[in-house]
Amino acid sequence: MHHDKIDTDALVIGGGIAGLQAALDLADQGFRVLIVEKQPSIGGKMIGLSKVFPTLDCCSCICTPRMAEAEHHPNIAIMTYTEVRHVRREGDRFIADLVKKPRYVDEDKCTGCRLCEYACNTELPHEFEGDLGVRKAIYVPFSNAVPQVALLDLENCILCGRCEKVCPVGAIDFLQQPQETVVRAGTVVVATGYETIRTDFKKEYGQGRLPNVLGALQVERLLAPHGPYGRVLRPSDGKVPDSIAYVQCAGSRDRSAGVSYCSRVCCMYAIKQAMLLCGTLPLADITIYYMDIRAFGKGFEQFYQNAKAMGIEFVKAKVASITEDQQQNPIVRIEVIEEDGRVEQRQHDMAVLSLGLVPGWDPREVGLAAPAPDGFIRCTQPMIAPCRTPDEGVFVAGCAAGPKDIPDSIIEAGAAAMEAAAYLHEHTHVAGKETTTTCMK
Amino acid sequence: MDKSQAQDPLREADNGATAHTLRIGVYVCHCGGNISDVVDVERVVQAASGLSNGVVTRHYPAMCSETGQNLIIDDISNEKLDRVVVAACSPSLHEHTFRAAVARAGKNAYLYEHVNIREQVSWCGKSDPDGATNKAIRLVGAGVAKARLLRPLAPISMDAKRHVTVVGGGVSGLRAARDLARIGLAVTLIERSASLGGHMAQWHLVYPTEDKARDLLRELVDEVIGDPNITVHTRAEVIEASGYVGNFLLRVEPEHITVETGAIVLATGFDLYQPQEGEFGYGQYPEVITLDQLERMLDPEGPTSGRLERNGRAVNNVCLIHCVGSRQIEGIHQPGPDGKLNEYCSRVCCTATLRAAGEIRRRFPRTNVFELYRDIRTYGRGHEEYYDEASRLGVLFCRYEADRPPVVSPAEPKKGPGLICAKHPPGRSGKLNLVPFSAEEPDDSALVVQVKDTLTFGEELEIPADLVVLVTGMVPREIDTLVDQLKLSRSADGFLQEVHPKLRPVELAVNGLFVAGTCQAPMDISESCAAGSAAAAKAAALLASGRIELDPFLAPVDLDVCRGEGKCVEACQYQKAVTLVEVERDGRKVRHAEVNSALCNGCGMCTAVCPTGAIQVEGWRLDQFDAMVDALVADYAETEVSHA
Amino acid sequence: MLPADRAQVPKILILATEACAYPGADNVGQIHAEYPANTYVVRVPAPVMFSEPFYLHCFEKGIAGIIVMSCGHECPYPGAYDTLATRISRVHELMGERGIQTNRLRLCAVCTVCSKAFLKEVHQMHELLTSTV
Repeated sequence: MHHDKIDTDALVIGGGIAGLQAALDLADQGFRVLIVEKQPSIGGKMIGLSKVFPTLDCCSCICTPRMAEAEHHPNIAIMTYTEVRHVRREGDRFIADLVKKPRYVDEDKCTGCRLCEYACNTELPHEFEGDLGVRKAIYVPFSNAVPQVALLDLENCILCGRCEKVCPVGAIDFLQQPQETVVRAGTVVVATGYETIRTDFKKEYGQGRLPNVLGALQVERLLAPHGPYGRVLRPSDGKVPDSIAYVQCAGSRDRSAGVSYCSRVCCMYAIKQAMLLCGTLPLADITIYYMDIRAFGKGFEQFYQNAKAMGIEFVKAKVASITEDQQQNPIVRIEVIEEDGRVEQRQHDMAVLSLGLVPGWDPREVGLAAPAPDGFIRCTQPMIAPCRTPDEGVFVAGCAAGPKDIPDSIIEAGAAAMEAAAYLHEHTHVAGKETTTTCMK
Repeated sequence: MDKSQAQDPLREADNGATAHTLRIGVYVCHCGGNISDVVDVERVVQAASGLSNGVVTRHYPAMCSETGQNLIIDDISNEKLDRVVVAACSPSLHEHTFRAAVARAGKNAYLYEHVNIREQVSWCGKSDPDGATNKAIRLVGAGVAKARLLRPLAPISMDAKRHVTVVGGGVSGLRAARDLARIGLAVTLIERSASLGGHMAQWHLVYPTEDKARDLLRELVDEVIGDPNITVHTRAEVIEASGYVGNFLLRVEPEHITVETGAIVLATGFDLYQPQEGEFGYGQYPEVITLDQLERMLDPEGPTSGRLERNGRAVNNVCLIHCVGSRQIEGIHQPGPDGKLNEYCSRVCCTATLRAAGEIRRRFPRTNVFELYRDIRTYGRGHEEYYDEASRLGVLFCRYEADRPPVVSPAEPKKGPGLICAKHPPGRSGKLNLVPFSAEEPDDSALVVQVKDTLTFGEELEIPADLVVLVTGMVPREIDTLVDQLKLSRSADGFLQEVHPKLRPVELAVNGLFVAGTCQAPMDISESCAAGSAAAAKAAALLASGRIELDPFLAPVDLDVCRGEGKCVEACQYQKAVTLVEVERDGRKVRHAEVNSALCNGCGMCTAVCPTGAIQVEGWRLDQFDAMVDALVADYAETEVSHA
Repeated sequence: MLPADRAQVPKILILATEACAYPGADNVGQIHAEYPANTYVVRVPAPVMFSEPFYLHCFEKGIAGIIVMSCGHECPYPGAYDTLATRISRVHELMGERGIQTNRLRLCAVCTVCSKAFLKEVHQMHELLTSTV
């Protein structure tokens, strides 16, 4: 098997917004950085969001410049669709084993023209659209993916060969093999992000089988200007929903779901989605069932008060269960926390689970120190040096160290980059001194 | 900085060529059929060769490939090309690729113009190939028209002091200073008070680690003081500032020091909200204190040696009122002395209060603790545990609505049955178990707090309290001199305003100024340290090489044309980016505009209002746009249409 | 269509901001949505740099319609959007004085993924120009 060797100053694991920012802040100081991303595009969860709270900026407009900057930065190399298998220390360097998964498309040749995608007849649920839209067996991951390179889903491919025939540059390669790479790096930044808890985490909430009960990230896609339906519809019958329920703390602050912590972003994203829905569906009633509204960040409380003034209904209640009626309208059973504490059933056209954030990666899988009891990366000096981990020279940024919003992730990424830079300085890998780097784009 | 630096390369001669004798190479990419399946590239090339400067015109399957780029490089040397135009995919993908190729051939990279005929022509015009071809021809024509007027540009580079000034010696300032020193930058730390540590030095134990705040601080302060790269000035203030990114000059009083510095990190911290006289009985009853005073009381090294007592007596009932001076709502709350409401949440107080409440219950089990809150915001890692723990330890929670705040008043002589007290921990969001006061359980608390508790049928509760703790939030600190001298902008809430909360969260509008910690918004210790490090990272990137490279797309002034009317100065949104100066010219005093490259952002607000066209954004000059429009409306393209 | 006819097709000039609208126009291509070929997108850092006469000259030269696609209030340059909006209103007045239909100049905001907004603006302008010119 062919082995590549890369020598770099910093290895950043994860190409979401935290990883990109950490990489940029290191690269701007003159350090060489390799970003390893397991997905076929960088951009992480952020690139799939519609707009961001509390400014309601278009999310793509904030995320794509960072993606482009990283892609074109002379000190940054990016490997997408690549997994980190193992990280170990050797003297004062880290050695990481990487495996680049086969795309079955030659990245250097592919121009992202999508002719293969148009030729392919196999239709599958589109992961980027929260399975709401359709993709082909060969496809560019999404419209603003970086790199703009197609990916062949061999598992679902019927090997008809149409893509190969139409590809103008002969980029299709059914025989592509996984490619191993060994990286030597002076420091490691872990920015592996989060996953939302699976919709079947709680049997009382329909176990992911109710078509009109959606996860919040799916609604992000519905609200995105380039989303799967191009408008907000409910999945079961394409009806425009008149009444939408938000179920807060779905998989957060809930020991029965195994998540006792607050996921920190759900209050705000629910309020944001509710406001966007008000704009798209001015006649719809939107109800948010919550325990506490945690609008703690800069401009958040004002955003919350605006949402109230817009007529979004906030009900302090626990949602005990969600079922559906014959028209597949979600029936939400609530225990009101205030007033008389009554139990009520309310019918909505669509219900949204404000899903909690859970760790997306276990550092033990690659030989790094065990995570904290909450499953996120353990921070050894959370107060005055919040990015340090039990592994000296390994720093953490963003949601890998617990749920947080985009500004907090970006700030923490800057902090991780600063720690990594200081570590490199103190271990003599001063920027520019080591010129043997053979990073490839 | 040498002011003429930006203009020097503009004077580079094109071997005497005029706009119409320049040798321009035009390359049309097929993009492997992505373009050529729709656009007739042969016709585009043919049209381009008909243009007066089209010396070399080619089409090629993949211009971005090594071979494609080499075509350009070879033509530049063999055909003595002055300008290059490539029509291909979006400039976001390959503009930099071809600029780099032009530079490799020894030409200025900015003598290159990119034309987008994929995303904006072939991909959006499949069903009208003829129309798409004509559109491509016109766009290439416009590209050539602009190319004729391109001028070589050089990135503006200037020396910068490898020195950072950190204003504020609280935890985020200390963190930033130490980080910068660790990578070898010189740091001056300026602290207004007599000692380092800020608010944190006054605190007892801190969430979520239960560390002693002073221990944590001591570690950081020792590192800072022991660091040879850091100079600390306490009891010092910046009273005057001038200069720009890379080269600021600060005057510091009272020591009369001048600091030459490349970047400034503002970490000036916050003030605690000062309750108004009579707000929840504050200033009226000695039993009403604030959370920071409670922390001092709980501190074994504090004024009461850690005893929870008031008026010399142990405290039996503590009532903590959340959101005092935070989350204020117009029409409900009274504006402060500055006429402003604090609409924001102060973020740290919920967890800090729960931590203190839990500590009281653990250390003084006979003391009842009541928390009167609006929402419990234990958002962070390890915060929710304090909420759980407080509930488990029997802290009693009442929730009030903003428009029905608790009322603190002196307790009347015992009323007997009817006065209600909450007893028995009810669990988190469950109902309080209410027991009427009886004669057997006399209570001699000095105060009573009335609250309409939304958790218990909206019941009006009367809670006896011999200590009422107001959980006061954070307010912006008075830093008017700095705001004035450094032209800082503040957001509506009065805290410093970053450029963009997500794109540039630790940068201020003036280049070279960074913000860290609670002068930006309420944040806790951990978040303040992260912000300090993040600001340090930006300053480090700026000053890493000792030279600052700026994009050349700025707005220099053509002194032959400028009449010094100053319209540009009025239009400019960036402080002092363009100013009027008086100079001697040909023995006469003349006024003209002058642009400071370090402050200009190239937006072109000045260009539109300049009466003579003297001020132009390089790379985007108005004559270039005019030429492009001329090319777009020219009628050469249609006459060449053939319908084979 | 004959060459002579094509020359009659009114031309639309789109001034698209580098930060938002130009990538937005690229996005339309990326999803392979079609719009009339008589549209010419020109990339600009900030359209606030164009003075009133620039627009009038464009009309004089033969541009039939202009759409200024800005970043709206997400504009990276402070104060630029409001100044631009004021200027466009003034150009509208000047157009009125010269007997140029004012709806031949449009100011709108288009973001990096606003393909629908982009298409709507282009189609609207195209309709207007082909029905009246």
